[in-house]
Amino acid sequence: MSAQTQIQSQSAKGRDFHKLGPVWNVIFHAMAGIFALMCVFPFIFVMIISFTDENTLARNGYSLFPEKWSVEAYSYLFKAGDQLLRSYGVTIAVTVIGTVIGVIATALFAYAISRRDFKYRNFFAFFAFFTMLFNGGLVPTYIIVTQLLGLKDSIWALILPLAVNAFYIMILRTFFSTMVPDAIIESGRIDGAGEFGIFFKLVLPLALPGLATIALFSTLGYWNDWFNALLYINTPNLVPLQSMLMRIENNMQFIMQNAQNTSLSVGVLQSMPQDTSRMAMVVLATGPIVFAYPFFQRYFIQGLTVGAVKE
Amino acid sequence: MSRKKKGFIPALALLMVMSIVLSACGGKGGVEGTPEKPVELIWYTIGTPQKDVDKVMAEVSKYTAEKIGVTVKMSMVDWGDYAQKLQVMTASGEAVDIMFTSSWAFDYVQNARKGAFLQTDDLLKEYGQGIVDTLDPAFLEGSKVDGHNYGIPANKELPAQEVWRFNKKLLDKYNLDISKVYSLESLEPMLQKIKASEPDVYPLAVDKNQVPYVPYDYVIEKLPMAVPLNTTDFKIVNVLDTPEMKQILKTMHKYYKAGYIPTEAATLDSLTDLQATGRWFADRATSQPFADNLWSASYGYPVVSTPASEPLIYNWSVMGSMQAISANTKYPEKAMQFLNLLNTDPVLRNMVDSGIEGVHYKKVNDNVMENLDESKNYDMPTFALGNVMLTYLNTTDPANKWEEFKKFNDAGTKAPLLGFNFDTSKVATEIAAVNNVKQEFWAALMTGTVDPDVYLQRANEKFKAAGLDKVMAEAQRQLDEWRAANK
Amino acid sequence: MITWEPLDVFSKTSTKNKAMLVMVLPATLWFILFSYLPMAGMVIAFKEYRYSRDGFLASIIESKWVGLQNFKFLFSTNDAYIITRNTVLYNVFFIVLGLIIAVAMAIVLAEITNKKLAKIYQTGMFLPYFLSWVIVGYFVFSFLSLDRGVVNRIAGSFGIDPMNWYSDPTYWPIIIVVVFLWKSVGYNSVIYLAAIMGIDKSLYEAAMIDGANKWQQIRNITIPMLTPLITILTLLAIGKIFYADFGLFYQVPRDSGTLYSVTNVIDTYVYRGLKSTGEIGMSTAAGLYQSLIGFVLVITSNGIVRKFNKDNALF
Repeated sequence: MSAQTQIQSQSAKGRDFHKLGPVWNVIFHAMAGIFALMCVFPFIFVMIISFTDENTLARNGYSLFPEKWSVEAYSYLFKAGDQLLRSYGVTIAVTVIGTVIGVIATALFAYAISRRDFKYRNFFAFFAFFTMLFNGGLVPTYIIVTQLLGLKDSIWALILPLAVNAFYIMILRTFFSTMVPDAIIESGRIDGAGEFGIFFKLVLPLALPGLATIALFSTLGYWNDWFNALLYINTPNLVPLQSMLMRIENNMQFIMQNAQNTSLSVGVLQSMPQDTSRMAMVVLATGPIVFAYPFFQRYFIQGLTVGAVKE
Repeated sequence: MSRKKKGFIPALALLMVMSIVLSACGGKGGVEGTPEKPVELIWYTIGTPQKDVDKVMAEVSKYTAEKIGVTVKMSMVDWGDYAQKLQVMTASGEAVDIMFTSSWAFDYVQNARKGAFLQTDDLLKEYGQGIVDTLDPAFLEGSKVDGHNYGIPANKELPAQEVWRFNKKLLDKYNLDISKVYSLESLEPMLQKIKASEPDVYPLAVDKNQVPYVPYDYVIEKLPMAVPLNTTDFKIVNVLDTPEMKQILKTMHKYYKAGYIPTEAATLDSLTDLQATGRWFADRATSQPFADNLWSASYGYPVVSTPASEPLIYNWSVMGSMQAISANTKYPEKAMQFLNLLNTDPVLRNMVDSGIEGVHYKKVNDNVMENLDESKNYDMPTFALGNVMLTYLNTTDPANKWEEFKKFNDAGTKAPLLGFNFDTSKVATEIAAVNNVKQEFWAALMTGTVDPDVYLQRANEKFKAAGLDKVMAEAQRQLDEWRAANK
Repeated sequence: MITWEPLDVFSKTSTKNKAMLVMVLPATLWFILFSYLPMAGMVIAFKEYRYSRDGFLASIIESKWVGLQNFKFLFSTNDAYIITRNTVLYNVFFIVLGLIIAVAMAIVLAEITNKKLAKIYQTGMFLPYFLSWVIVGYFVFSFLSLDRGVVNRIAGSFGIDPMNWYSDPTYWPIIIVVVFLWKSVGYNSVIYLAAIMGIDKSLYEAAMIDGANKWQQIRNITIPMLTPLITILTLLAIGKIFYADFGLFYQVPRDSGTLYSVTNVIDTYVYRGLKSTGEIGMSTAAGLYQSLIGFVLVITSNGIVRKFNKDNALF
């Protein structure tokens, strides 16, 4: 088995070196590199701005080399102290639990409707697809979550509403139907495995890149979600990170729009740093998840030793 | 199938038994809402959630249970989220007893019409007499929706007065006199002077939210329907067609071309950058007594102001801060009793505002207090929580603060449309279209960015196509009806 | 076309199908709870929604029927044509260009021999996904601002007059498309990249033995293997063709009125129109309209796909 794996990975490497001429290699590097740089640049800019002195920023505008540096924005955000840490905790918990639940439910559903021999596959495919287009809006969902399920101020109100997503199901179904040859399922059946056995032991390993993609999207979905917390969470202990930061952002926007209102603007505005803390929030919110990224990435960059299961 | 039924009927039976037991429990304990058996009021209000809210509300509840037999559970929702969250909550019929509403967050008129609030005409008479006595009658009159009251305005500054604000450093540096300033045109010589001598400074700071002041009362804020302030026939006109507006837009455009106004004013969200760096000379704002002190403290350099209009009582200024009773409250009388106490009882009002004496603040003398360190865990927006004139002064406040407020309120005159609130439901389609046209042209025109000679006509054509005439006719019909009813 | 067989044949169905039914159960329950039950709320589109003391259901029942009144504002003026045209045209460009560039980037990343660099590139491309449209709006502004914008400063140093980007609609279609692609390509290419990684390597080996060069391999193996995924994603995108990304069309052009002819889309129109009145009925109507059109288009295009290849269709 391991020898076979080695051969597989060697041959995978072999094909990479084969026949992509050096000129094209350079061109490919240039294409990917330049585009990546365009994408990274604003991010570096965000970091620089977040460390810029607020007054310098107001006077000179955005600059790559600010006259005066400052950590004021961060100290404002860290003023929340334990709240910030707790919010990180909530976000991580929600993200991990939600992704696990979501990926399992999604994969099961997607696999079933990817099987040509499942009698109701079209019905369920349509059943899922329909929800991508039609929804009843905010208020009915709110009632389901708070009144029917009674999840107000519960961590499940952050997890369940995002757990399943028809878009992911459709992607994953395609992965299953293109990556998993019928022969493998057939062979599993001959070996006497049950449907669930075939799914977990034979199918999932083959569809790892697809699963990783869905898991990544789901993780990011949970990580970036702030709206469910706005609706369902009152207890400060359960406010996730993005929601906490979004509140500050929303406040800034709101107060800006109502600057004419003297009682409001004078009372509240003065305590708020503006642009710099906005950028600092981006840094705080994305930093950890960017570091988690390589964990998923290895499944869709490195080229897996997929062939191992091949007959 | 049969198994399903078996499970279903006992479950149903259990549910019925439970509901009987529950309702029995509710009825058994005698009268609710007494000091022994207080009822809990759920209160949603605006502001950044504070750590010590529950702690303070426990104190508040002790006091109110004793006085009126209620306890209070307060939930704060942050500024930027309040309107959206309360919208969803009220639309879904969530249990709330009292909530903050205003003309600028969780719109009062709109939600009163949708049925979010309890009509309080009779409750006010019966349990809210203290409120009626304390408030200037204009507050309750101006916050009527279709003839009824749905919320309790906070006793605070009543009229709105437009002022020109000036960066005092620059005034002093160039020795400029603002005593003669009143109209937009009268600013010109100073703006010219500043433009010539201070290239880094914007002489007239304007952002996209500003509208030049014209002596008209708008039917809906920032939609071009209005009546003149001195109207006698109450005829609604398109404000963009009036000579005053045409004149002032011309002046704005002249100033824009002369470089007095920030080049990107039409898309500028706010002036905070300019204010932070002090690179502005003059701008316009809405004032209240001692506003200069507030602004100066807030910006960190002296700001002075001089009037740009009479103090006028508008619908929106009356509805600046209100507390309403939810339409689905179980305890309307108790809620009104609580609001009455909040607006008349200094002990309760100050507890809600500043927290617990000795923990969050200490008294300096009878009506002056000083914040303690702990006040950072209970920092409330005073103006949003009822009668501000009962609150203790800060040590930095002038002693005559509330007297000045009263004087200011007495000086205000009523705008013609005070108490009239246009019901847009019959012309909702047209309003949606008109709003789109408005946003296409409004900021560019009002900041002087575009030439009014060209763009006013274009805007008016589009307004017409969008159905502004129909909206105006409907508004006129309602206004005539309202006048007939209020003679 | 769709199997609408009743589901209570559970007892008769084979063990294989039973296992499948158990597999779809969790997500099906979720869909019922979080999607299908709330759909009852769509009826608000035909009501003048007013609150009732007795909760949401009572509110719906007691509110007045208004027929198609709530839909009228979407068609009442000239703007109706502009917003529909803008929404559809931008989406067509987004779908076509987004597809080509995302697939191309995925292939490029898959073919790059230095995997360490490929990873770095790929991570970089993903970063814009994390920036909200508000922040993206600030960056675009820092480039295009009249006084302090990078573009005008550079143009100035060549003696070109500064341009007021936020009041001239000419270049905005391009700016919008570029910004959209910049933000979305990284995210979308991940899906294709994963699909390429899942392709059976023996196919390439066989091709190499046959002497196929890299381009032939890409054309004859990679792209055909990606086709099912491309088809599905395109079909799904067609379903959203009447929807626009609000932030892209509102925050990035800074809500500048002079640009509306090329930046006003259905979502921004609805937002601007209803912001002040907050009519839930009308916003629900707008959503229903967008969905219905998308639905009809997907069903049609799905039918066409089925004619060519049943396996690539959605259902």
